[in-house]
Amino acid sequence: MSDTTLLALFEDIDPAANAVEKLYEMGITDENINVISGVPIAHKMLGRPHPVTNVSRLALGGAIAGFIFGLFLNFGTPYMYFVPVGGQYITPVPPGLIITFEMTMLFALLATFLGVFLDSYFPNYRPMEYVAEVSDGKIAVFFRCPPGEDKKFTDAMDNLGALSVQPAEAQQL
Amino acid sequence: MASTAHPYSKPAKAHEGHHEEEQDMREFLMYDPKPRGEMNQMVMESMTTTSWKFWVVFGILCVLVATCFIYAWGYMIAEGLGVAGVMRPSYWGIFLVNTVFWIGISHAGTFISAILRVFKAEFRRPFTRAAELMTTFGLIQAGASIFMHLGRVWLFYWLLPVPNQRMLWPNFHSPLMWDLLAITTYVLGSTMYLFLPLIPDLAMARDRSTGWRKTFFKILALGWRGTEGEWRHLTTAMNFFAFAIIPVMFSVHTIVSWDFAMAMRPGWSSSVFGPYFVLGALHSGMGAVAIVLFIMRATMKHMDYFIRKEHFDGLGKLMLIVTFAYSYFFFNDYIVQWYGGDKWTDILLHWLEEGPMSWMFYQLILFNIVIPPLLLWNKKLRQTPWLLALIGLMINVGMYWERYLIIPVMLTINRMPFTWKLYEPRIELFLTIGTFSVFLLFYMAASRLIPLIPVWEVQEGQMTHSLRKVGKAEVPTVSEFE
Repeated sequence: MSDTTLLALFEDIDPAANAVEKLYEMGITDENINVISGVPIAHKMLGRPHPVTNVSRLALGGAIAGFIFGLFLNFGTPYMYFVPVGGQYITPVPPGLIITFEMTMLFALLATFLGVFLDSYFPNYRPMEYVAEVSDGKIAVFFRCPPGEDKKFTDAMDNLGALSVQPAEAQQL
Repeated sequence: MASTAHPYSKPAKAHEGHHEEEQDMREFLMYDPKPRGEMNQMVMESMTTTSWKFWVVFGILCVLVATCFIYAWGYMIAEGLGVAGVMRPSYWGIFLVNTVFWIGISHAGTFISAILRVFKAEFRRPFTRAAELMTTFGLIQAGASIFMHLGRVWLFYWLLPVPNQRMLWPNFHSPLMWDLLAITTYVLGSTMYLFLPLIPDLAMARDRSTGWRKTFFKILALGWRGTEGEWRHLTTAMNFFAFAIIPVMFSVHTIVSWDFAMAMRPGWSSSVFGPYFVLGALHSGMGAVAIVLFIMRATMKHMDYFIRKEHFDGLGKLMLIVTFAYSYFFFNDYIVQWYGGDKWTDILLHWLEEGPMSWMFYQLILFNIVIPPLLLWNKKLRQTPWLLALIGLMINVGMYWERYLIIPVMLTINRMPFTWKLYEPRIELFLTIGTFSVFLLFYMAASRLIPLIPVWEVQEGQMTHSLRKVGKAEVPTVSEFE
């Protein structure tokens, strides 16, 4: 028999944080809990571990790639497509800095944007566990509990002020 | 969702002084919270409630776009640039005036959204998206104006560093090439920066829509749920964008100024042109934001809750500071050239002061330097939405004249007097009306298709603001949630 996923809906951050703490006490581990909210809530408010993100690393990677591409445009391609103009350097440094800067920033911004997509698995149009009340300001705590213990967990969440506790169902967003 | 910080709650009436304080605090959006569901409902209604007046204006704009933009441009493509007024010595005409103007307008979005976000200026929250939209739509008009200027627009790809059989290669020493790369970076960057914080609001709209709107929002919301991970990725990206887009913004208008300043030409060759142009861009952009906020508040349902006098006040202060900075650079640019002693520059300055276009020069000084500080110093006037919009309109008229003087007029007065001939725009006038119409049409369409108020950012702000009792007074307090 597989684990059951329950969804407890809370009005505010305080009871949601208490619920997370209670779930820890009842033996539910971090990876079996997920909190969904309509505004960003700092992990420390909920007593949750710091979520890992690769966005910063991807941004840095993009910036490095853009810098190299900028250098290539400036100092590489003019020798591939040689257009000598009287009295001018083929690869002058000051104008090269401008192109290199723009390419560095462009690639960094693109990588950051794509980073959000990659880390969040966007776009994702498959049915997912969700409740629309979240965008009305409620906080949903999803957790997987051992089979047959639904009642115990439901009671615990109810005691902490949950608006509702129900089995989480994947729905088409 | 109720906040963990205690939002404003009505204290017992102790004495009259207290009561006055209470009234003051209620004027601020951050201390006048509503439940999130109610705010969502208000924003959705503002998108879906449309009066007949909206459709009349929308229809007129459609006609203007069809005639002044699509038909006029098509006619110019078919007949060639000969139907435009550009000719020796003013080969750069209104198309480039429009380009510089629209890039200037686009600076407001980045300034308000990025710089105010970095400095945590809370009054920015309800109108960041309205300003960001101006950036994206303004840049589209700037791009269209450059393509119009190209004439043979189908050869635009010659600008790109693409190997071809003719062995053409773009000259990276040219400011025009820098322009292409900087504007491309800015268009892409600002569009991504517009889209990222929009995702949670699109998800909110998805949850409350039916029919084609539901499908539209579902596709754009990308499957957003609001998990801890999604918020973390989004806020990290937005923080990075806020910092990274600022130097890009400065670089764009600096590079635009270098299109002129790199040439040894009277009136153009100036080392302060970079910051002068950036300040000019912010000046016109702020003015445009004031106009947009006034129109939004006056025409869209429930907007008087989100956009209040405090926001016009904050914007007015910014406009005042930018006016001072712009005036400083204007005078700096003028006085150094005036003292320079160059014969052709002297003739040009005389031409500006006494020539046939001097009315533009004096209007520019009046609208951009004299009138704004005279009015914006006063808090009551700053808090009057229609007046701030009027000042914004004056600033934009003045800034348009400034760009007109810099481009076709300064090209007229050159070192070869036998070529002097005043530029007379022809089809450019229709195309200018066309670009303005496209901008307005896009904006009106966007106001019905995407939430113009970033509801989650407003709610986040309201959660972080509270009143704290210090002695006998309740003082506004802002918490740091991040």
